[in-house]
Amino acid sequence: MSGPLFVRTLGSQGVRWITVALAIFGWGLLIPIIYAAFSDAMRELANSGAIPEELLNFGSGSFFSLPGAVTLGTQHPLAIAMLGVFAVGATATAVAGERQRGTLEVMLARPLTRTGAYLTILVALLLVIATLLAALLAGFVVGAAVQGLLDELALEHLPMTFLNGFLLWGAFATFGMAASVSFDRPGPATGLTLAYLLVNYFFEILGSLWRDVAWTQEYSLFHHFQPSEILGGSVDPLDLVICGIAFIVPIVYALVVFPRRDLAAPA
Amino acid sequence: MEGTPPTPVISTQGLTKHYGSIAALDDLTLDVRPGEIFGFLGPNGAGKSTTIRTLLGFLHPTRGTAQVLGMDVVAGSVEIRRRTGYLPGGIALYDSMTGDQVLDYLGRLQGRDAYRRQELVERLHMPASDLRRKVRDYSRGMRQKIGIIQALQHDPELAILDEPSEGLDPLMQQAFYGILAGLRAEGRTVFFSSHVLSEVERICDRVGIIRHGRLMAVHEVRELLARRRRKISIRWRGAAPDPTTLPGVEDVTVDGDRLFGTLHGDVSEFVRAVASPSLEDLTIEPASLEEAFLEYYAEEPEVATTQPDQRS
Repeated sequence: MSGPLFVRTLGSQGVRWITVALAIFGWGLLIPIIYAAFSDAMRELANSGAIPEELLNFGSGSFFSLPGAVTLGTQHPLAIAMLGVFAVGATATAVAGERQRGTLEVMLARPLTRTGAYLTILVALLLVIATLLAALLAGFVVGAAVQGLLDELALEHLPMTFLNGFLLWGAFATFGMAASVSFDRPGPATGLTLAYLLVNYFFEILGSLWRDVAWTQEYSLFHHFQPSEILGGSVDPLDLVICGIAFIVPIVYALVVFPRRDLAAPA
Repeated sequence: MEGTPPTPVISTQGLTKHYGSIAALDDLTLDVRPGEIFGFLGPNGAGKSTTIRTLLGFLHPTRGTAQVLGMDVVAGSVEIRRRTGYLPGGIALYDSMTGDQVLDYLGRLQGRDAYRRQELVERLHMPASDLRRKVRDYSRGMRQKIGIIQALQHDPELAILDEPSEGLDPLMQQAFYGILAGLRAEGRTVFFSSHVLSEVERICDRVGIIRHGRLMAVHEVRELLARRRRKISIRWRGAAPDPTTLPGVEDVTVDGDRLFGTLHGDVSEFVRAVASPSLEDLTIEPASLEEAFLEYYAEEPEVATTQPDQRS
């Protein structure tokens, strides 16, 4: 681990980090407000049969309960985009971008192992992702408090919700970093990581909207992060294990591949 | 200590790097002595950067071994880089930082005091106002100056410089040569690659010539220049003497009262032989390393590749 590299990696995310943290907090704040305003109307709509029930359970979330609304908030494309900026964009470009610019060479000419450099950048970016996730959950809690709905959330399970969410988004981040140390240009690394995220997302949404292929959800990492269940008091350890494996495997891959790669002169 | 050669600062034994079937570096055996400026000469694609990148651990050798500062380049890579300053060819810097911030950041990563920085900043004429500007606004020459400063600011025992004078104007090149001379005077070792023959000729103690990944020869620059053929032109009043009486002169052509030819060997012996009251004009062009270089490259590899260590 290198202190200067850690500080620089965090600093390079600076304005974007703060902006997205505020935005995602605002998004979290909004969810309980929307729930309080529209849950009864949504329930009536569902009971009337005017809208198929599947459409009201987007991504395993719903506005029928506050924990369900929280799940909806975490799986909404807006939240995916905000977290994806860092879990995909920042990680996939972290090493490959420096490699393409030629600055990786300047950095690695210092007394720094490649393993150390990789772990330093990874920890810094995971910290950014953790703060965003914390901001999102804080938004949910503050929003629920403002609406007087805190009793609908099992707040004692908030740390577990955070851990599960961190392992999910950390899995995308470690995949992005693994791609980043494997390519000389950020384009392929970003494309591959984005594809990984979108396929996971597609499987989850497809299964939630089309019950005949509900099995696809099992193959999505997003399906293994269900705040509605955790905050409702039910934790499935298998979700943590699956997200944990998806988190660890790319790290092991990167630790094997990166130090052994030849870094030829940048084109 | 007489008879015990000093431990080389850089030593490679059969260093080879293949990319598939292409040999970027082929059986390189080379020693760089402490306190010398060693020029690594070759055209683009000859293997200069591959050698440097292997020494610094960016590339893994296919075969062979190498030691820098007495440490194996694979096992001791981190410690080697702690004690070495490196200027990559066509250095890239962090565009969003100022020059000062780049030097601070790289200095912190180095983990050693940058106590030469102020001296280098002054010698390379980088005023504080320039150092406060973003690197993205820098000219190529200014980037190169920052590159040189970052490589040398922590006073490394060994400086590895890849095409260091690229982008520097003639005035800054002079300043840079002065810095290198200062390093040598302090016992530091400099290994630098270049395809600018004149600078190698001017500042290096020894030069290695590489072609197609193979080391063709290693020479003392002085010795190489002394062995070079020089173009001569002589004019006499009256008849020219018999050219065969002039030692070391070949390829003679006579045009009226002028004699043209090439001279190799001892200049003083030739001058003594040619000196006479009828001598009106004598021109001896300085020996150029470029000619030596081109001579090596004109030859077939098999012919030129005598054992480099025997020729050094």
